[in-house]
Amino acid sequence: MEVLQKLEILADAAKYDVSCSSSGSNRKNTKGGIGNAHRSGICHSWSEDGRCISLLKILFTNECIYNCAYCVNRSSNDVPRASFTPEEVAELTINFYKRNYIEGLFLSAAVVKSPDYTMELLLRTAKLLRHHHQFNGYIHMKAIPGADPKLIYQAGQLVDRMSVNIELPSSNGLKLLAPQKKKESIIKPMGFIANQIIQKVEERKLYKNAGKFVPGGQSTQLIVGATADHDLSILRLTEGLYNQFGLKRVYYSAYVPVSQDERLPTLAAPPLLREHRLYQADWLLRFYGFTSKELLQEHQPNFDTTLDPKCDWALRNMQLFPVEINKAPYEMLLRIPGIGVKSAKRIAAARRFHSLSYDNLKKMGVVLKRAKHFITCGGKYYGEVGFKENLIRQALVLQEPKGKTSGIEEGQQLSMFTH
Amino acid sequence: MIHYIYDGSFEGLLTAIYEAYYRKEKPEKIIAKADLQESFLVTYIHIATEEEKADKVYSAIREKISSRALKNVFYLFLSEDMEAATYIYNYIKLGFSIGGKIDQYHTHDIVQHVHKISHKVGKEAHRLLGLVRFQKLQGDIYYAFIEPDHNVTALLAPHFSKRMASENWIIHDGRRNIAALYNKTCWIIKEGDLQGELLLDEEELAYQEMWQSYFKSIAIKNRKNPKLQRSYMPKRYWRHLIELKNKT
Ligand code: SF4
Repeated sequence: MEVLQKLEILADAAKYDVSCSSSGSNRKNTKGGIGNAHRSGICHSWSEDGRCISLLKILFTNECIYNCAYCVNRSSNDVPRASFTPEEVAELTINFYKRNYIEGLFLSAAVVKSPDYTMELLLRTAKLLRHHHQFNGYIHMKAIPGADPKLIYQAGQLVDRMSVNIELPSSNGLKLLAPQKKKESIIKPMGFIANQIIQKVEERKLYKNAGKFVPGGQSTQLIVGATADHDLSILRLTEGLYNQFGLKRVYYSAYVPVSQDERLPTLAAPPLLREHRLYQADWLLRFYGFTSKELLQEHQPNFDTTLDPKCDWALRNMQLFPVEINKAPYEMLLRIPGIGVKSAKRIAAARRFHSLSYDNLKKMGVVLKRAKHFITCGGKYYGEVGFKENLIRQALVLQEPKGKTSGIEEGQQLSMFTH
Repeated sequence: MIHYIYDGSFEGLLTAIYEAYYRKEKPEKIIAKADLQESFLVTYIHIATEEEKADKVYSAIREKISSRALKNVFYLFLSEDMEAATYIYNYIKLGFSIGGKIDQYHTHDIVQHVHKISHKVGKEAHRLLGLVRFQKLQGDIYYAFIEPDHNVTALLAPHFSKRMASENWIIHDGRRNIAALYNKTCWIIKEGDLQGELLLDEEELAYQEMWQSYFKSIAIKNRKNPKLQRSYMPKRYWRHLIELKNKT
């Protein structure tokens, strides 16, 4: 089979993996080598669905011995199958990289023959790239659950980021949809990678040459909407992954119906809005100091579809508002709906020189559409509808963007991963 | 009303600012020679570029204001905005009086405008770090053709000299007829037409085809969103993108 055909099959099979980030690593080019990993990440193109293309995202193989219900590559599915060789993947990566199509490689794989066998192929590819081609660009690699930790360890020394996809956010989901997979076989390598990362950081404090272990950190992906799990349980899992395993990112993927199976829900369309809300909440956990408890509760375990999680939180905590823009501590500025990290920083910097008026905020480029309901400037309140929970809620719901793409003020990158 | 005219180079602009400080006739505007539209009511003073004076202003900005301000000034210059030079002049004047904290004056009109333009230039440069497409030519040279809105070639070259340190490459700005040339050691900016026709390396088209097919297969059909795609990657860039040039 020609490389071109393999590429078609194995790119197609990899596309539901949402992670595209090439940031977080800072690998320098070496003498005679090629490439470096740029700290802030670079997008090279945007596909028709509006997602950033930064890495050559392919499966090494889609020939799988497992049969997970939600997956296109499940062994019982009738699709064309293909496998690369390590040499082919390395050549492709180098040549795409030199033409500036990509920042690096995102290599995943179905499980061919056995987890060890598959992991060895991935490892050989990474070795070829790093040693033979002296490639210093970004490599994100999947650790295959169930593979020998020795192999995972060796790969970890070569790549920038590693991930183990959890996919189904609960043991029940796993039992139902991927009965051959065990929670332990997923969590174990994640814990192993997390420990190695910490250990390497410690070692590097003592000796400079201790080498690296996945300097770009670990990430994972959760499928949203293939199981009955509600948003709160997903968000709790996320929180645990950030706090206990030190993950860099958790990605969410709205379940795209790829197979007919009575164990799977029938969806008219992928639950994109839900996915979007989870990204918004994820952002609030990582950059805004929120906890999952604050955002959702047992009696209300799913996000409001009409309002973003931050507005929703503010409306449930009206006693904390309105906040005076000239006095509120930075942490509180961050919690004002519509105010992002950048704006909060700007406000904190600018108010040191003079007290800020409503007009000043506008001029500074602070978006006030939502914020105006929750702030005072020099004691004055500017929300037209008055400081009443129900009235503000109504006004905000009307403002929620109708299209799915616009109006995401907090964290531009949010929309990179969403519709 | 007095306008200073400079030759269009960065050094020329800095010289004009130097003169504006020491001469009695203060300018209302500073304009590049190429942008000049003579008016009867204006007195024009032509400023001859002097490297020494330019150097002085350059280091004064860095030392008395900040390196961030220096970066803003350079980006503004690269914007090729007709009013950029005048804004730079006013920005520096303000900077000399308030020093390094100038960039925190987000509410000041001049600072705001400078940030806006500088940000635009930076954004285009960053965007192009990803959107530049090299084609491999015979003789092991990687060649890219761009037509950016702003004069950002000099901002791209340092990045690619690290990324592609052991290759020969050319980034050709067809709109301004300048090119950054790199020979595995250092890069220079060359002005004027590049000679000769492009002879592609024999593997080039095969890789282009693979990239196009990769681009097609990676999109998820039931999540199609051309509007979002265009907002990240405006159509004017598509002409030079291997994966999209057939769609313009
Ligand atoms: S093991 Fe992975 S590739 Fe194989 S069927 Fe399950 S999810 Fe799909």
